[in-house]
Amino acid sequence: MEAIIVLFLSGIIALFLGIYNQPKLTTIISVIGLIGAAIVQHYPLNILPAEYNLLEFNQVGNGFVVLAILLTLLIVLSGQKEFLEEKSHAGDYNALLLFSLCGGIILIGFTDLFMFFLGLEILSIPLYVLAGSRKGVSESSEAAVKYFFMGAFATCLLLFGVVLTYGATQSFELSEILSKTINSSGNAMLYVGMIFILASFLFKVGVAPFHFWVPDVYQGSPTVFMGYMSSVVKVVGIYAFIKFFHMAFGGLYDFWSTLIAILIGISMFIGNLTALVQTKFKRLMAYSSITNGAYALMAILYPSALSDSTLWVFMLGYGTSVVALLTISMIVNDDADEIASFKGIGYRKPLIGLVAIAALLSTSGIPPMTGFFGKLMLFSSVWSYYPWLIVFALINSAIGVYIYLRLIMTIMSKETATDTKEVIVSISQTIVLVLSLLLLVAGWLMLLCWK
Amino acid sequence: MELLIITVVLGLISFFVPRNSIKLFGLAGSFVSAAIAIIHLINFETGSYVSIFETTEMPFGLTFQIGYDGLGLMMIALTNLIVPIIILSNYNNSATSENRVFHALVFFMQFGLLGVFTAADGILFYIFWEFTLIPVFLILYWFGKGTNKVLLKFFIYTLIGSLGMLLSFIALGLKANSFAYSDLLAVHLPAKEACWIISGFLLAFAIKIPLFPFHTWQPDTYTSAPMSGTMLLSALMLKMALFGMIKWMIPLVPEGVAEIKWLVIILSVIGIIYAAIICIKQQDIKRLFAYASISHLGLIAAGIMVFTKDALVGVSIQIVNHSLIAIGLFLVADILESRLKTRELSHMQGTATLAPKFGFWFAIIAFASVSVPFSAGFIGEFTLLKELTEFHFAVGLLSATTLVFGAVYTLRAYQLSMFGAPKNETFEDLRWNEILVFILLTNAIVGIGLFPQCIADLVGPSLDKLIIIFNETTTH
Repeated sequence: MEAIIVLFLSGIIALFLGIYNQPKLTTIISVIGLIGAAIVQHYPLNILPAEYNLLEFNQVGNGFVVLAILLTLLIVLSGQKEFLEEKSHAGDYNALLLFSLCGGIILIGFTDLFMFFLGLEILSIPLYVLAGSRKGVSESSEAAVKYFFMGAFATCLLLFGVVLTYGATQSFELSEILSKTINSSGNAMLYVGMIFILASFLFKVGVAPFHFWVPDVYQGSPTVFMGYMSSVVKVVGIYAFIKFFHMAFGGLYDFWSTLIAILIGISMFIGNLTALVQTKFKRLMAYSSITNGAYALMAILYPSALSDSTLWVFMLGYGTSVVALLTISMIVNDDADEIASFKGIGYRKPLIGLVAIAALLSTSGIPPMTGFFGKLMLFSSVWSYYPWLIVFALINSAIGVYIYLRLIMTIMSKETATDTKEVIVSISQTIVLVLSLLLLVAGWLMLLCWK
Repeated sequence: MELLIITVVLGLISFFVPRNSIKLFGLAGSFVSAAIAIIHLINFETGSYVSIFETTEMPFGLTFQIGYDGLGLMMIALTNLIVPIIILSNYNNSATSENRVFHALVFFMQFGLLGVFTAADGILFYIFWEFTLIPVFLILYWFGKGTNKVLLKFFIYTLIGSLGMLLSFIALGLKANSFAYSDLLAVHLPAKEACWIISGFLLAFAIKIPLFPFHTWQPDTYTSAPMSGTMLLSALMLKMALFGMIKWMIPLVPEGVAEIKWLVIILSVIGIIYAAIICIKQQDIKRLFAYASISHLGLIAAGIMVFTKDALVGVSIQIVNHSLIAIGLFLVADILESRLKTRELSHMQGTATLAPKFGFWFAIIAFASVSVPFSAGFIGEFTLLKELTEFHFAVGLLSATTLVFGAVYTLRAYQLSMFGAPKNETFEDLRWNEILVFILLTNAIVGIGLFPQCIADLVGPSLDKLIIIFNETTTH
């Protein structure tokens, strides 16, 4: 709770500093706010009376909050160069990211459907604005409109599902819904409500068959905000998805688990097979995020997902590599967004090459990167429940290796792209690259801190 | 612990060594690691297990345990002694030997290999196994002539195999609630499950060795790789798979061996004969040696599946012998290729007249490759053929054709490249480092050929343990 207050206040301050045209100060404020929020979350002060606390964080929840804050911090740092180019809007961008993160934290800690809905909307609304922030570019406006309409539609579905669920259980509390659903098998209204909620969740996290908005929106949005959508929003969204279904509909596991498993299997193939033929980098990342979102969602299939570190490690590896790759994309590409313009960048700039190799190997799940440990833990947890899905996932890992390895070969090529321009890496981007390299190579050691 | 750390340290230092002294640094560094391996060899008490590092304080059932027994020590010593020979034979290829990144990658590769041979935990083994792929891939990519297609084929092929192994480890580890080697050994499986699990392992090892239908990545990769890359692949990386079969696959899933035994043996025999026939018609000398490698390894793989003491001792000798011969043969191929700018046998006629020293040493390596008496190959192949014949007469008979075919293709390659009227005007004779490599190799081959007991004694006790585990489960 205190973390949200810290984030919100620093967001407000950033907005005001934006008015007085102080772009550098807004950055400093938002970085301080983010670090402060992470500290307050990890070492709570408990100054608020308990009855104000509608949010609950267990150890895993805390871990996810810190992870979301960490990823946002990396994104804010890597986007500074672009923020500073538009001085008058730097404050807005920083502030909106922080506000959105507030929603994300509520979405991790919710205990009833009110807070859940609030969190979801606070997370999404700033993003509709940010997706369209390149006002001169038509793709950006397209992305914003698409994202808004799709998001609004998903919200409608969600509300309808919530209403039906309330009708069947007479409660908004997750724990009460759970106790009612365990006993009331055969209540058709409950099942319909659950299906609606499921559909809206699939929309939000971009899993087949509701994945089609992902590539367009990701490609149209500015790279920084795409980084936020594909890392933080995915992390938070999937955690909320799993929490919702385990804590409210845990009694109906047999009903939804097979359905979700099949959808996960389909998404993995759709994401990967489409990514095979992409020539635009952001589109490739969008399809790869569909696949990785599907991997992460596998955690919903085993009962102890909310009480162990499996999903956290997977998300750490995935989120960091997305941020690292998009930072590299920001350094290399302006608007063309062609994969071909990455050619030889890693050979000329060893730091970029090293980070790119680490990030791509991590997403492919090759040891000793963090992504490997995430996949290993995830796959071995789900193996006892859905072995066929793990076989599918491994096949997809192999396809994924093909995709990412080609990217490595492009980035590390000795030849360079034809129209080579000078590559400038700003200080904040260097910090992001070094930090993400550390997280990718040694992030899994943080597991030693888990009890 | 210094055994593993030294390679990482050497690899990291390589990035910062001045460019003009990197050659010397690489050579000296690799000799230091070889010296450490020799110290371990001297201090080793036969039949004991030496634990290098051990902790169970790790997440998700991974235990960090590394250590070696006799078999592991043989592989460690092989790795650490072969790497200096590879760097030495590469000493004059300025494209690679004067490159800092190249040396760093070789040392990282060595680290991965040592990890594979010392890991006493399934996941740790897998991590090191996959880790070796990264440096070797980068060596092939930056310093080789391979097209992206060839490299992707190599990487994806081996990776798919590894994923099969990962799946098997996960399935096995969930049964044992731990991935530690000793815990995995204790798991008993019903036959059907064992069959699935062993297939996963087999996929990984069959692709890496490579066995007959999985071999298609190998000739292309070997031909396009730089010489040092080919040597790393054939002399060391393949041995990971053979080692994995002996130490991991068969003892962990002895219940499944009966089902796949014949499959592997038949595939191996097909590989022996098929690759040998291709060799006989082969015009490209590097490709010829690549196929010869498939043929030789088929015999070793068949020997492993018999899993008796004598067979495994023969396998161990052949593992060492094949590494030495592979280095010799690929060095020969590289000398011919770099000086004549061609790999076609028909363009090489009469080299022996121009370069008599080269002709002499090539002859020695060629004879070692066809396993004449007094060479290590003679002892190894003889033991393996004896065991295969005892196992089944037809298998022994068909495998024995490797001796005949081997002589035919090796001597044919020698004759076509060395004898006849010289086609070329000049051919620079051997340089000092190449002569040194040949002398070292020949000493080792003849040394083992005359005194094979040194290897048999080293690995004997650990093989006995594995055989006891195997027999206990299969007779139940």
